[in-house]
Amino acid sequence: MLTKKQKGINWVLTAILLVLSLFFLFPVVWMLANSFKPDAAITADMNTVAAFIPPMPGGGFFENYISILTNTNFLRYMVNTLFYAAILIVCGVVVNGLAGYALAKIHFPFRERWVLLILLLQIVPMETILTIHFLMIAKVGLLNTVVGYILPMIVNPFNIFLFRQVFMNLPDDVYEAAQLDFCSPLKYFFTMVLPMSKTVVATVSVFTFLNVWNDYLWPSLVFTSSNLLTAQIGLNSITSNENTTMGQTLAVITMVTIPVIIIYSLFSKQIVEGVTSTGSKEG
Amino acid sequence: MSFIEFKNICKKYENAERNSVTDFNLTIEEKEFIAFVGPSGCGKSTTLRMVAGFEEITSGDLFIDGKRVNEVAPKDRGIAMVFQNYALYPHMTVEKNIGYGLRNMKVPEAEVQKKVDWAIRILGLEEFRTRKPKNLSGGQRQRVALGRAIVKNQKLFLMDEPLSNLDAKLRVSMRNEISKLHRELGTTTIYVTHDQVEAMTMADRIVIMKDGVVQQAGAPMELYEHPVNKFVAGFIGSPQMNFYNVTVDGSELRFSDGSTIRLPAEVVARLGGKTGQMIMGIRGEDIKLDSASLKKYEADQQRAVVENAEVMGNENNLYYTYGGSLTVARVSKYEVSMIGDEIRFVFLPEKMHFFDKDTEKRI
Repeated sequence: MLTKKQKGINWVLTAILLVLSLFFLFPVVWMLANSFKPDAAITADMNTVAAFIPPMPGGGFFENYISILTNTNFLRYMVNTLFYAAILIVCGVVVNGLAGYALAKIHFPFRERWVLLILLLQIVPMETILTIHFLMIAKVGLLNTVVGYILPMIVNPFNIFLFRQVFMNLPDDVYEAAQLDFCSPLKYFFTMVLPMSKTVVATVSVFTFLNVWNDYLWPSLVFTSSNLLTAQIGLNSITSNENTTMGQTLAVITMVTIPVIIIYSLFSKQIVEGVTSTGSKEG
Repeated sequence: MSFIEFKNICKKYENAERNSVTDFNLTIEEKEFIAFVGPSGCGKSTTLRMVAGFEEITSGDLFIDGKRVNEVAPKDRGIAMVFQNYALYPHMTVEKNIGYGLRNMKVPEAEVQKKVDWAIRILGLEEFRTRKPKNLSGGQRQRVALGRAIVKNQKLFLMDEPLSNLDAKLRVSMRNEISKLHRELGTTTIYVTHDQVEAMTMADRIVIMKDGVVQQAGAPMELYEHPVNKFVAGFIGSPQMNFYNVTVDGSELRFSDGSTIRLPAEVVARLGGKTGQMIMGIRGEDIKLDSASLKKYEADQQRAVVENAEVMGNENNLYYTYGGSLTVARVSKYEVSMIGDEIRFVFLPEKMHFFDKDTEKRI
């Protein structure tokens, strides 16, 4: 039971957090409200409270969105990105999960050294690794292909570590029971280990999706064909086009931002659980 | 040939200083219920896991149904196992847990359903069949684990302390259920437990282990009445057997505090002429306080003051110091004594056990 003083402190803390969250929300609300307005209205409302209020729904309400979706390839870029994310989630869970399982449950020489090595990989700056990835992909002729984009993105040291930490806590006797139930090791992984570790699978899936969705550098290196581009590159090319209006720019940014917000809202519990269960956090 | 044969089985873990199991020899006949008992770390679970194939056998040979199985994979040994922590599949319902092995064995679905229904019925799990393990009590989970083992029609059941996580009352009822199942199915069973009461009440034969070495294997009453050494004598029976450092001189038995009693001729004969220092053991129920016994052994009546009394309901345990050792006498509920009471008692000489002082082996 909270005392009167504790209740008071809670109220004050809640109020402070609310004010702080408003500061973070302002740009989002501003972006959302103005993405429905023509440029003239945006300029007119700029220094007033009206800048945070969307126009009344009516004719031309979705004009900026419609023009982006019909006059540019942005919809295709979004679909491309979702497609890449889906493939990378499946491949990432399987490959990193299997690696994590091996490091957690299979005894082999220098296992702990391997774990250390994988952890050390996280220290290496992503840009350095991307250069090597680019050279390798170019050498095997996979530039400007989906395979060339996806292949180097599958293995993720952090996800391997995340899986390993969770799998280490799985009881060994369940595996032994499954062995006596004629379950092969691979079947055990897919029908037992992954369902028993839903939280970490969700966490890795969310991280993978966000990585793919927000990634700009790697797709811009691999892809040259406009048919294969991702949402972030599309965003950049559309917003840097001098014919794009302010309202259209905000509509594109809104479309890129919304999936991230939805994913965070839906899976925030899993993200927190997944990260805290490892005693680590995304580096 | 016996159904299971252990021949000089040894187990030594990497970097361990000594063997976990040393020179384990045993034969088990078909349909037998064998219990491995012993204190923690005695090697009983390791031995069971070697039978299951989860631990490599360092040396020796293991035969199941006439076939050497040292290198055979667990799934190909024809065994089913019940684990201490149940090892149920947490994301599957009761019926899916029970039928999982059968489905992997590619048994036709109709047959799977029939067997699962049978197991659920005989284990009384009808109302829980669609529940997941987290929504079951300990006893229900253990029954699901039993169900998973029995549906596969394997020729050998291995049970690794299956009741140790249950409360005392549930343990008694599950003990009966397992015994009943064994009688109905007649499957050879190896049961590991540290609870000698479980072993005594369920097993056809008991194997007692200590420090990886078999101390004695035999029928429960054989172990109770004729323990081969002091360890077995002390391990089997509750309350534990009373032990005294004594000196035997002809027909006189002298305790370390100077008290003496006379040994009858048949007991002296049993000692085969051995005299000198030894250990005498006697069970609590073989120390008598009733008038008939006091009269029969009148010349050897002893006296002591009760230091503690445990009222068990059906009987009483009286604790007192005698002969230099804390002694417990197990008396009927009608023989009421309070702490501080002086009691008279006699030892039943024919129930005395004698052990060598150095080797602790039975004399």
